[in-house]
Amino acid sequence: MTDPILLRARGLKNSRSLATYLKLGGYSALEKTLSMTPAEVIEVVKASGVRGRGGAGFPAGVKWGFVPRDTAKPKYMICNADESEPGTFKDRELILVDPHMVLEGIAIASYAIGANTAYIYIRGEFVEEARILAKAIAEAKRKKYLGEKILGSGYGLEVHIHRGAGAYICGEETALIESIEGKRGLPRLKPPFPAVVGVFGCPTVVNNVETLACVPHILEHGGAWFAGIGTERSTGTKLFCVSGHVERPGVYEAPMGITFREIIEDLCGGMRGGGELKAFIPGGSSAPVLPADKIDTAADFESVAQAGSMLGSGGLIVMDTTVDMVWALENLLIFYAHESCGQCTPCREGSDWAVDIVRRIRRGYGRPGDIETLHRIARFASQGMTICPLGDAFCGPIASFLEHFGHEFEEAISKASSMTTNALPILPVQSDREMFGI
Amino acid sequence: MVTLTIDGREITVAEGTNLVEAAAAAGIEVPTYCYHPGLTVVGQCRICFVEVEGMPRLVTACSTPVQSEMVVLTASDRVREARAAVMEFLLENHPLDCPVCDQAGECGLQDYSVEHGLDSTHMVDERRTNPGRERHLIGPHVVQNQNRCIHCTRCIRFTTEISETSDLTMKSRGNHSYIDTFDGRPFDNPWSACAADVCPVGALTVKEFRFRARVWHLEETKTICPGCSIGCNIMLGHLNGVVHRFVPRENAEVNGWWMCDHGRFLAEGLDRRTIDVPLERFGEGERRISWDSAFVQVAQWLREAPQTLVVASANLSNEALFAVRRNLIEGARMDVIVPVSEGETRRIKNGRGVWFSSTDAHPNSAGARHLGLTTVDAANLESYLLDGSGPVLILDAHAHPWLDSEGAAAITANRRVAALARYRTPLVDTASIAMPLASWAETDGTFTSSTGRVQLARNALPPVGQARRAWEVVYRLALELGIEQERAMTTRILFAEMAAEVAAFSGMTWGRLMAEPGMPVHEEVLGVG
Amino acid sequence: MTAPLVVASPDEVTDVTFDRSMEVQIERTLQQYPDSGAALLPILWLCQERWGWISPGIMEAVGKRLDLAPAFVEGVVSFYTMYQRRPPGKYLLQVCTTLSCQLCETSVLVDYLKRRLCIDFGETSGDGLFTLVDVQCLGACGEAPVIQINSDYHTDLTVQKLDALLDRLAGQ
Repeated sequence: MTDPILLRARGLKNSRSLATYLKLGGYSALEKTLSMTPAEVIEVVKASGVRGRGGAGFPAGVKWGFVPRDTAKPKYMICNADESEPGTFKDRELILVDPHMVLEGIAIASYAIGANTAYIYIRGEFVEEARILAKAIAEAKRKKYLGEKILGSGYGLEVHIHRGAGAYICGEETALIESIEGKRGLPRLKPPFPAVVGVFGCPTVVNNVETLACVPHILEHGGAWFAGIGTERSTGTKLFCVSGHVERPGVYEAPMGITFREIIEDLCGGMRGGGELKAFIPGGSSAPVLPADKIDTAADFESVAQAGSMLGSGGLIVMDTTVDMVWALENLLIFYAHESCGQCTPCREGSDWAVDIVRRIRRGYGRPGDIETLHRIARFASQGMTICPLGDAFCGPIASFLEHFGHEFEEAISKASSMTTNALPILPVQSDREMFGI
Repeated sequence: MVTLTIDGREITVAEGTNLVEAAAAAGIEVPTYCYHPGLTVVGQCRICFVEVEGMPRLVTACSTPVQSEMVVLTASDRVREARAAVMEFLLENHPLDCPVCDQAGECGLQDYSVEHGLDSTHMVDERRTNPGRERHLIGPHVVQNQNRCIHCTRCIRFTTEISETSDLTMKSRGNHSYIDTFDGRPFDNPWSACAADVCPVGALTVKEFRFRARVWHLEETKTICPGCSIGCNIMLGHLNGVVHRFVPRENAEVNGWWMCDHGRFLAEGLDRRTIDVPLERFGEGERRISWDSAFVQVAQWLREAPQTLVVASANLSNEALFAVRRNLIEGARMDVIVPVSEGETRRIKNGRGVWFSSTDAHPNSAGARHLGLTTVDAANLESYLLDGSGPVLILDAHAHPWLDSEGAAAITANRRVAALARYRTPLVDTASIAMPLASWAETDGTFTSSTGRVQLARNALPPVGQARRAWEVVYRLALELGIEQERAMTTRILFAEMAAEVAAFSGMTWGRLMAEPGMPVHEEVLGVG
Repeated sequence: MTAPLVVASPDEVTDVTFDRSMEVQIERTLQQYPDSGAALLPILWLCQERWGWISPGIMEAVGKRLDLAPAFVEGVVSFYTMYQRRPPGKYLLQVCTTLSCQLCETSVLVDYLKRRLCIDFGETSGDGLFTLVDVQCLGACGEAPVIQINSDYHTDLTVQKLDALLDRLAGQ
């Protein structure tokens, strides 16, 4: 691949400034957009085939098309900068390198769906990044790229930043909406979908930072141009975040369809310290783990799905042969149990239960029925049993770790000692009459 | 209207009905926890899964509205499996408390785990517990055991949507989430015990009922709350002659599924009785007499006196007050007054979201007015008592708070007072004759609420010991005075005679009152009182 | 260099009123939403920036200002891990313990921190300087191990770097 698109400003001095962005041709796509109708803009984005880069991979243009045109209700555009999926750090990179690209994408998307207000929901930990965006918004407003009468047109857009406060679940679009409305981040029942009933009861589109960052380029060069990069059904470039046991972890832009071997060996300098690859998680921790022999899989939605996993957010976690897979699964399950909102039974109970089992196995107290129980939990906390995909997000790892590395679990169990517990059941220890005066 | 098929049965229901209600209409029970007909739908517990032909995934019945020609399966293999899994998840951290838990016998987990759950669990790890919240008096009337909580959020939704006090919330998240009040302050809104009602398990239970009785031993009688004029429908739970609790009974028009704490905990005082047998003042003390003697003696006083004052009560049934009107006013030309008192404002929300409010502390002031009786406040009651020298027949010594006072006893000290009472007051202790009055639990009859409904209260117990009901006493006196004749006399007969004679009750029958949730008072009379 | 947190004592945040400058910020925040309830999270952040943590008194004041029941406010505050429920030390050491950082030996840093500060996760050092908290993925996995101290990300950490860093912070 020749020149980077999303990360074109990386390494440049003052890459974040409006002046730099304009020099690289920024905001000309927005100007062009304002001369088109919203419907035309949506068609261009549909033609590009760009799919959501937050993890779900849903075609952005199609999502924009779901917003009803014939309603008096105001529309809202929301940029999802909650980036909390373990192994994912590309949105942070985009904001640190080129915040205006993100803003331009938000502006074009807002125009396309008829929104005059946009919120950037950014995770609470990204304090510096929120400041950078706020500064960029102020800069853009001063030069009329945002605010009232953008570039002299009749279209106006206010962009507000709304900080999260430490909840991965708020990356799920309906939980995000609840969080904006000032509530606990509990995902909503769907239908209705946000495009019809979203924030404040109004039509809303939620898009990931990276997805929106693609949009100015698509409008600039056309949908066909974008569709010509990558593969047929996974178009454009993707920001791959590589972490774990590689020489040079970081964010790398490459066309969809590059293989994981190429990412690890060519872009990241190979395995850390010359180690041997054991397993990798291709798309953020919610993606099923793949064994080393899948390294030649192409990094696009279809190929990864065929290999038994998901491209997801493109957060590639690389593990070498020093990694104890029982330990790794325990670590991931702790994350999901910590982040479960607690609303629905299978996820609330199943996530914690799974942690208990895997922790016990790792500590050397595994029991013969444990693997079967883990499979049972994985089966019944996914595939629609839960309100939102967080259930699937922890069940995928359980199922895939057991599928590819089940022997490690079996070995740990067979070596286990039998555990006796000193825990006593809780019984009333004094008269209730005394306690309650009854 | 929408027609659909559930488990092979065709059913037609209103548009917008959810599948839980539609199945119920078809005679099929879909298990639920978080779903409650009086609260918003949250679809959280995931127990109500059903299969809908054409939909790839199971759907939660509570959040799925009916659609024309839908084909629903509530007991397919897929559904059974899913439900069993959810039951297992629910029981996984749930403590084995059944032997010490008040909810046993009316517990959602017990009810559904036998039919829908597995017969064992795969869980061998330690259950998560909430130290410090296992027997926590979260409010004056509610005990919390957070270990038992299944996170259905019914209690929270009750405080937000029904009591509108928003005093319960979920704190933290995931498996560590727990129910609590703001800053641990007491959970004490006027309907707090309703949160324990809606809790499907023993996570929230009523303090006053703690360890009192197993619910399957209780007999439950349909009656009305005597706490104010609204007339919430209740079930009175009793065992071996002891009243153990009031719980609300569903009535969409009056009280929804709710009742206030004031009314609910009147159950605690119903057994209070210190007048067991008729007593006659005898010199400085008193002596026991028989009812026969009491009737003869009282009738004689009434016959001799030129004018008798009768203090009736707005706590008495329509039938008792009708007997008073017919026999004592029309028949014997006595002066009859009905004391009414204002109390604290009581409120309840009905099943349509409408609030009712009352400062009338009696269950039947409206009935008294519809029967044309004179109602008086404390001041007037006092002046009636001061103004006269004839005998006073008090049909309920607890008819008004003022009657409990020393002042009331002083005023009536030099008159012949015959009083029906349950427990001793200064006035009762100085009455010439005191007779045991049946309690609310021993009363049956109709009562007219301030919302204009005539409702039937059944008696849970026969009158205890020698206690009698007011209408019986009136009838017996009327017999002694020659106003009435020996004939069959029951509340039901009295009611029929009253309905025939009094406009407010025209068209009503006892049978319909048993079946229907109260009947509206005849329109013409609604303006009265 | 990471600035220390300004933390109010419990007495200072029992009865809370918003001064003029806070009111101005609250008003500005309310302008951003058609519904005042949506201002809850931003206003809680304003309070935490002002007083260092969220006390029951603050929750009551916020509830009153936004016409929200205090129990509701507490439910929200307790859901989000970044709102501090107790006064933290001057430096809140938020150590990422999720997989990518663990693959880069963050457990070594954790052991070091616990030994140097003589505390466990959830505790504050005796001198009131450092509060140690374990957090989930901070979204900077390419620069693992990562620790967020107050608002700042400190990345590519080693025991030596961390040791020097804590010395500098303690000296401030």
